[in-house]
Amino acid sequence: MMVLLLVLPLVGALLMLLWPKIAPLLTLLTATICSLAALQLLLQVSEQGSQQILLAGWPSGLAISLEANSLSCLLILLTTVLQLLVALYAFATYRRDKLGTGFWPLSSLLQLGLTSLWLSRDLFNLYVCLELLGLVAVALVSLSGDKAIKPALNYLLLSLFGSLCYLLGVAMLYGAYGVLDISALALQWQTNILSTAALLLMTLGLMLKAALWPLHGWLPAAHGAAPAPVSALLSALVVKGPLFILCLLWLQLASAPQAVAIAPLFTGCGLAALLLGGVSALRTPFAKNMVAYSTVAQLGYAMLALGLLLRFNQPLFAAALWLFVLAHALAKAACFLAIGEITATLGGKRLNTLKGASQTMPLAMFAFAVAGGSLIGLPPSGGFLAKWALLQGLWLQGDQLLWLLAIVLATLLSAAYVFRVVVLAFDRADPVAPDFAPRILPQWLALLPALAVWAMALYSEPLLRLLKQEGL
Amino acid sequence: MTDLSPQLLLYIGTAAGLFAIGLYGFIVGPQTLRRILALNIIGAGIFMLMVVLAYRGLADGAADPVLQALILTGLVVAVSATAFALALLARLKQARPGQYRPEQEPGP
Repeated sequence: MMVLLLVLPLVGALLMLLWPKIAPLLTLLTATICSLAALQLLLQVSEQGSQQILLAGWPSGLAISLEANSLSCLLILLTTVLQLLVALYAFATYRRDKLGTGFWPLSSLLQLGLTSLWLSRDLFNLYVCLELLGLVAVALVSLSGDKAIKPALNYLLLSLFGSLCYLLGVAMLYGAYGVLDISALALQWQTNILSTAALLLMTLGLMLKAALWPLHGWLPAAHGAAPAPVSALLSALVVKGPLFILCLLWLQLASAPQAVAIAPLFTGCGLAALLLGGVSALRTPFAKNMVAYSTVAQLGYAMLALGLLLRFNQPLFAAALWLFVLAHALAKAACFLAIGEITATLGGKRLNTLKGASQTMPLAMFAFAVAGGSLIGLPPSGGFLAKWALLQGLWLQGDQLLWLLAIVLATLLSAAYVFRVVVLAFDRADPVAPDFAPRILPQWLALLPALAVWAMALYSEPLLRLLKQEGL
Repeated sequence: MTDLSPQLLLYIGTAAGLFAIGLYGFIVGPQTLRRILALNIIGAGIFMLMVVLAYRGLADGAADPVLQALILTGLVVAVSATAFALALLARLKQARPGQYRPEQEPGP
C-alpha cells in the first residue's frame, strides 16, 4: 500500500508529461485512487500498529526504510484529499485562469514528495524529499507568469540554502555516528558539541524552509504571487513538511538537556510569529498576502506547541501541535481557494475588491468566514480543538498565566484580520461588480475543506487519543 | 568519531573554508547569479567534507560506499537545482530586458 502511494503519483506525473491532453483527468484519477489507498492504510495501521517496509529487499541498515505510523497515515490522507480537492478546483477553473499545463504533473510530484516525506525515517532520504518538495514548489509558483518569477527565484535560493544547511548537519552526524536511520541514530546519540552544532544547523535550514519566524520573509511574496490552487497547496501542505522533520529531529534524536535548552527559542519564535505575523496580516493591502501572513502567524502556534512539548514533555502539546497542522491545512486551503475565486471573479488583488462580496459571491465568502472561524479558534472547529489542547496542557502545568495572556492576544489579532475581510464583504452599499457571472462549483469546492475543519470537532475523541499516543 | 590524521584535518579545514566563502557570497552578493554560484560553492564544501569523511579510518583503508552514494545523489540534486535557478534567472531577464519599455519612453 505504501509503495502504491509512492509509485502512482510518480507514474501519473510521467504519463501527464507524455499526454498533456489528458493530464487533468489523470491527476484526478491518481488523486482519487491515492486518497482511497491512504484511507485503507490508515485503517490498517490503526488496527495492526505501525508498518515498516525495506525497499527492494535490502537488509536493514542499507535499504531505504519506510515507516507508516498513524500520524504519517493521517498526514498522507490529508495530503491526498487536499490534492484531490485542489485538482478538482483547478479542473473547474483552469481554462478561465489560464493555468499552465505544467500544473498537473507538478502537483502530482508535489504529492509524491510529501507522501515520501511523511513515510521516511532516514536523514538523507528526508533531504531528498525536501529538495524535491522545494524544487516542485518553486516551479509551481513560477506558473503564474512573469510577475511571479522574482519571488519564485528568491524562494528557490533560500530553499536551496536551507537544504544545504540541513545536508551539512546530516554529513556531520553521519561522520560521527555512521548511521542515517533516525531510530538507529537515537540509540547511539551523545550530547556533545558536534551533535548540538549539527542539530542547530539542520534547525536553521528547516526553519528557513518552513518559513518559521524570523525566517519567513520569502513566504508572503511567493504564496501571494502563485495561482490560487498552488497557494492553497503550498500554504496547507508544503510548509508542514520541514516542520515535520524538525519535530522528528527534536523529539526523537535530541537528548533531554538539548531539548530543554532549545525550547525557549521555539516558544519565543512561535510567540513572535503569532503577534508580528498577525499584525502584518492586519496591515497588508493585498488579499492573498493577508492569507499568506496568516499562515506565518498560524505556524507560530505549531512552533509554540513544539517548544512547550520539548519543555514539559506533556502529550497534550503533541496533540495540540498536530491538530494545529491538520486544522490549519484544511482552513488555509479553503481560505486561499475562496479568496482566489473571489479576486478572479471580481477582478482585483487588493482587499478593497472584496467590498460587498457577501452579496455578489455569498458561497465563497461563507467559505472564507467559516475557515476564518477555525483560524480564530471558535468552537466547535478544528482550530478550537487544537487551542483547547494547548490551553489544557498549559493549565495542567500551572502558573503559566503569561502564556495564556499571549494566546488570548494572538486570538484577538487573528479575529481582527478575519473580521477585516468579513466587514468589507458585508459593506453592501456599493458592491464591486463581478467581471462575469460567479460560478457555483469552485465556490462549493472552496467551502468543502472549511466544512471539513468544523467536522474535525465531531471526531475529536479518536483524533486526540491517536495524536497523544503517536505525536512522534 | 574515529581518529583523523592531520591530512584529513587539512581537507576538513578546506571544506569549512569553502563553506564560509560560499556563505559570505550568499549573504553579501547583490546579484542573483553570484548568489547561485555561492550556493554551488557551499555545496562543493559540503561534498568535499563528505568525501573526506568517507575515508575516516575504516578497517581496510577503503572508502565508505554509503557516503559516496550520498554524494552522487547530492550532486544530481545540486546540478538540477542550479539548472532550474539559471532557467528562472534567464526568464526574469527576458521578462524585463532593460530599464525602459517602449511604451514607457517619453514622447518627442
